[in-house]
Amino acid sequence: MGENMVKIAVYPPNSLILADLLERRGHTPLVLQKQIRQKIKDPEIDSPPMNITEEDPIKGLKYAAIEVPSGVRGRMSIIGPIIDEAEAAIVVDGAPYGFGCIGCARTNELSIFLLRNKGIPVLELNYPTNQDETYVMVNQINEFVDSLEQTAEEE
Amino acid sequence: MWKVKIALVSCGTEYSGIQKEIEKAANKFGAEIILPEIDLDYIDESYEKFGFSAQSSSLKLMIARAMAIVEGRSKPDAVFIATCFRCAEAALVRNEVRRFIQNNTRIPVVTYSFTERTKADELFIRMEALATTVTRRNILAREKQEGLTLGLDSGSTTTKAVVMENNEVIGTGWTSTKDIIESAKTAAAEAFGQTDYDWDDLDGIGTTGYGRFTMGQEFGAELIQEELSVNAKGAVYLADCQKGEATVLDIGGMDNKVITVNNGIPDNFTMGGICAGASGRFLDMTSRRLDVDITELGPLAVQGDWRKAMLNSYCIVFGIQDLVTTLAAGGSKADVAAAACHSVSEQVYEQQLQEIDIREPLIQVGGTSLISGLVKAVSETLGGIEVIVPEYSQHIGAVGAALLVSGMGHRQDNK
Amino acid sequence: MSQNLTMSPDLGKEDWDPDVITRMIFIGPGAHVSEQEIVSEFHMLDLPLTIKNTCYGSMISGKSEDVYKAIEEIRKLDPNHIFTKERGFAPGDPRRCRGHRFGPREGFHQMEKEYRILGFVAEALVDEFKKIMDDCIENK
Repeated sequence: MGENMVKIAVYPPNSLILADLLERRGHTPLVLQKQIRQKIKDPEIDSPPMNITEEDPIKGLKYAAIEVPSGVRGRMSIIGPIIDEAEAAIVVDGAPYGFGCIGCARTNELSIFLLRNKGIPVLELNYPTNQDETYVMVNQINEFVDSLEQTAEEE
Repeated sequence: MWKVKIALVSCGTEYSGIQKEIEKAANKFGAEIILPEIDLDYIDESYEKFGFSAQSSSLKLMIARAMAIVEGRSKPDAVFIATCFRCAEAALVRNEVRRFIQNNTRIPVVTYSFTERTKADELFIRMEALATTVTRRNILAREKQEGLTLGLDSGSTTTKAVVMENNEVIGTGWTSTKDIIESAKTAAAEAFGQTDYDWDDLDGIGTTGYGRFTMGQEFGAELIQEELSVNAKGAVYLADCQKGEATVLDIGGMDNKVITVNNGIPDNFTMGGICAGASGRFLDMTSRRLDVDITELGPLAVQGDWRKAMLNSYCIVFGIQDLVTTLAAGGSKADVAAAACHSVSEQVYEQQLQEIDIREPLIQVGGTSLISGLVKAVSETLGGIEVIVPEYSQHIGAVGAALLVSGMGHRQDNK
Repeated sequence: MSQNLTMSPDLGKEDWDPDVITRMIFIGPGAHVSEQEIVSEFHMLDLPLTIKNTCYGSMISGKSEDVYKAIEEIRKLDPNHIFTKERGFAPGDPRRCRGHRFGPREGFHQMEKEYRILGFVAEALVDEFKKIMDDCIENK
């Protein structure tokens, strides 16, 4: 632990279970809430509740073209930096989604595409609906994390 | 102080950086924004019940919030439905949710598609219309004009006056706007000239348009109302479409308005005014180049075929140049007139009509509605939609103001 | 009470400090500890933290170093049943608190759904722990 710590992006990026499982293993889950905290703790920007200003959808142009709706670009200005920082990713298909930052399907489609095409190790899973499937998910995540640690050690 | 409660039904205005602007606009008109409270089970349940399979979870939330309003769990006075401009999924849900609320409640609704550049100023007129729809519901419900009333519409280019008596227009006046008060007096004098009445005989005065406050103060108007509600009301009244849905289109000399209406009450609105190529000004220039009076341009255009005139640009500079070239090459005036009407119509569509869900019938009003070639072009642009041009369509705001103020003024009672 | 969504929040100096973070602590089904025990344990740690009881467990706020230390200690009480995640807004921040906003915050619904499989996750962790233990005993 420690030196071999890997920055892992999870999707949905605010999942309690995904973030918790990674933290247990001593890795840093790149989560949305940290991004949001940066946004809302800037008292200079007077646009509560999110402190997203007209500027942020413009920053989102780094990830999506101008013809893409402003709400997608605004969200990408928060999620995009997580993708940039990721050294590995876990994407869960069919997971429950909240409604704010991740409430826009187009944003999520783009984010997952960018993670898949970044050339980093990506684990794709289905969201479990019963006990057996949950076991499988927990095991797959742990095995994925083991493989990341091995790779890190070999380097 | 009692405040009008406007429920925000949206998939995430705050992620476009415009949340603050929406709040600001609502507060200006004594209203506040609220979110309908719902729990998870209710979201799933209402989403199933509604039957629209949306991929975005925020749209599910939007549907559930609309359901909470329809089912009376949340009791707002008005609803503001907003989604991102250019998002197909959200536009579909926005329109279905709008219809759902309108078909099942009497709560006024305004819809909007926004970008990150949306500012409070653009939202003011919508919020004002929402707030006045709530506080003045009984006034907007009026379907018949009674007594003797004067309607004054002070626009940025022209001032219109209409005198009405017992549900009939009995006098109209029109003048270009210079000094607001003087122009209003001139237009009113013209309208009174067609009747046996004068200022002292009136029961009430209603004002609208940019100069409504100035005129309202000067003449002690009983009703001072923004043009969105007034024009919508005037149009459906004259076109005899007070029940059900309609769209009001006003291609002005400087700016254009498109208003969608449900049972006489406006619920969406777009306004543009940055491109002369999408305005009556283009037709004004064309008629001068053709050396015909603007009133002759319409009938001329109806005879022509726009396909036969070369028009590579909709721009008022380059487009007009093209028309001149067509004429020089021996093209017919009729074809050129038709091409000009077609071009303006296409531009209005490009710049505005595609932002809004057009509902039949389309009621075309304002001075340009008298240009028959333009009316024909608009219908063609919209796939052959039914376009109604009611009588007095060029005086729409003044008629709306005269209609709405009736029943409010009691000037003769004190005499 | 105002239901205004975009009120300018009247926050303390600490709330604007970027190093002050907030974490939510959830107790999964089948846990051996109660919410009350967790809150008491937090208090016993004697760290400068703001501790709050909530419907799902608790919420703590403070300097990141203290918060992480506290989380590490708390997990020890019942490693397989205590889950935690970050929260962007501080407890009671009027911009997110449902008491002010007149409607639940956006992430709440997702949390409710994830909570429904938290019990399975806990069991999977218990099993894994057993397996590791068994492996260790066998290998000895």
